[in-house]
Amino acid sequence: MRHLTAELAEVWRFRALFLQLVRRDLKVRYKNSKLGFVWSIAPPLMQVACITFAFKNATTFAANFDSYSAYVLAAMIPWTYFQTAVLDSSQSILMMYGVIRKVYMPREIIPLATSVSNFIHFAMSWLVFFAYLVFYLRAPLLPTLIWFPVLVLAQFFLVTAASLVVSCLNVFYEDVKYIVTVLFNLGLFVLPIMYLPEQVLHSPTMRSLWGGWAARIYMWNPLAVLISGYRKCMLEAPHPSVLGGNAAAPFDPGSVLAILGVSFVALVLSYVFFNARKWRFVERP
Amino acid sequence: MSGSPKPSIRLAGLRKTFVLQHRHAGSLKAAMLSIFRPPRLERREVLRGIDLEILPGETVAVVGRNGSGKSTLLSLVARVYKPTSGEVTVNGTVAPLLELGAGFHPDLTGVENVELYGAILGLGRREIQAQFDSIVRFAFDRPDLAEKIDTPLRNYSDGMKMRLGFSIAVHTDPAILLVDEVLAVGDEAFQHKCLDKIAEFQERGKTILFVSHDMVMVRRVAHRVVWLQDGVVLRDGPTADVVDAYMVEPGPSAVAVASPG
Repeated sequence: MRHLTAELAEVWRFRALFLQLVRRDLKVRYKNSKLGFVWSIAPPLMQVACITFAFKNATTFAANFDSYSAYVLAAMIPWTYFQTAVLDSSQSILMMYGVIRKVYMPREIIPLATSVSNFIHFAMSWLVFFAYLVFYLRAPLLPTLIWFPVLVLAQFFLVTAASLVVSCLNVFYEDVKYIVTVLFNLGLFVLPIMYLPEQVLHSPTMRSLWGGWAARIYMWNPLAVLISGYRKCMLEAPHPSVLGGNAAAPFDPGSVLAILGVSFVALVLSYVFFNARKWRFVERP
Repeated sequence: MSGSPKPSIRLAGLRKTFVLQHRHAGSLKAAMLSIFRPPRLERREVLRGIDLEILPGETVAVVGRNGSGKSTLLSLVARVYKPTSGEVTVNGTVAPLLELGAGFHPDLTGVENVELYGAILGLGRREIQAQFDSIVRFAFDRPDLAEKIDTPLRNYSDGMKMRLGFSIAVHTDPAILLVDEVLAVGDEAFQHKCLDKIAEFQERGKTILFVSHDMVMVRRVAHRVVWLQDGVVLRDGPTADVVDAYMVEPGPSAVAVASPG
């Protein structure tokens, strides 16, 4: 632990470079088009629109579900953040390879900067969500909204942890980014983005599979917990008819605190993992 | 050495061993498959006990044939590698000259790249802004070049990137400048400016450590030459003596002089 705090002090010493790297990431991201931020949030919004179109027309649950689009958007924003941050960080160290071969810097600031610049974009994306919620859907702001910052913080820890591990592995193994891309394609269906986790938990197949354990394991996925938490703290529960007559489980602060703890532990462990390998990134005779 | 000033760079018993993997698993798939067949590891001792002191104001050239450990030595002074054993002590800020503007981003303008690159070399934003005009003037002395500073870097030629990179590095005003074979950048006029800048550094008492195969350059710039062979210091002394001995050395080193890089 002492060792880790010394490494963090070194990161703090290089904060000017860290801020420049964050600025660079944001500038490059918003520079390639005149519309900047608006353009870069368009893809997830279009995805939400298409999912809403497909599910509203093809499924009965979505057809009866008034705020279905808000539910999809509340899942798509955190999911897009997770994906882009981890994918960007997988390339981040290799992009700076020519520099770290010649100049000293604490190498963790490279994936950390990618994680933070994506976090800033993520935070701004929620403004679009709240605008949609308040001005278009005219939905009330729930008191459980005070848990929203805790969820955001937990997700920042989780994304940074994944970024550290993936950026480090990608230096040594060139296929990491392809594996990650494939997993992300699966995530869109496995995670409760287009549907509600209760539909999985209540489904007769899942309840009987492995003596009920399959459903339990499904909710061990930290991203599923986060997505479910975001929705429940911001949006009113769907009408029981959406869930075949069952009421949705209420917002559970315990699960939010649990995910915060799990994400923090993941962050510490991934930092240990990164530090054990960071000196080998450029070592070639 | 008692009574002399504190050295800028001090290497004591410095060793560096690389662990090479034959049949390196370049992919996660291959790494998983090779769990049952652990790769054969080879240890290569690149530096085998270097003791060296470089005083403030000295310009020291490191020569030696390819694979003698010159670049490894420079990387250890830059703290890019961790020593296997021994110690590297550096007094003062170190600025390495990067090759070809590594660290530049093609989508950012020249101005934005100067800020980023300056930060990489340890400058704060205010320091960069204070030096900005001087950096641009040094890199682009012609007005048709200077007006490109507000356009994205992908519009720059390689020569322009090199000029800008060199200019930022020398403007960071380090106590110690590390140069790895990049002194000869740009056209003849710019090379001349680089040598002038090096001379100015020397006059101001800065320490310069550089690696070169170009003996003309070494004779012109260095006060002292360290000749590395197989990871140990073979000779260390005044430029003329060591370069003369190095040039007449028969065998592989003569080949290395003929084909730098």
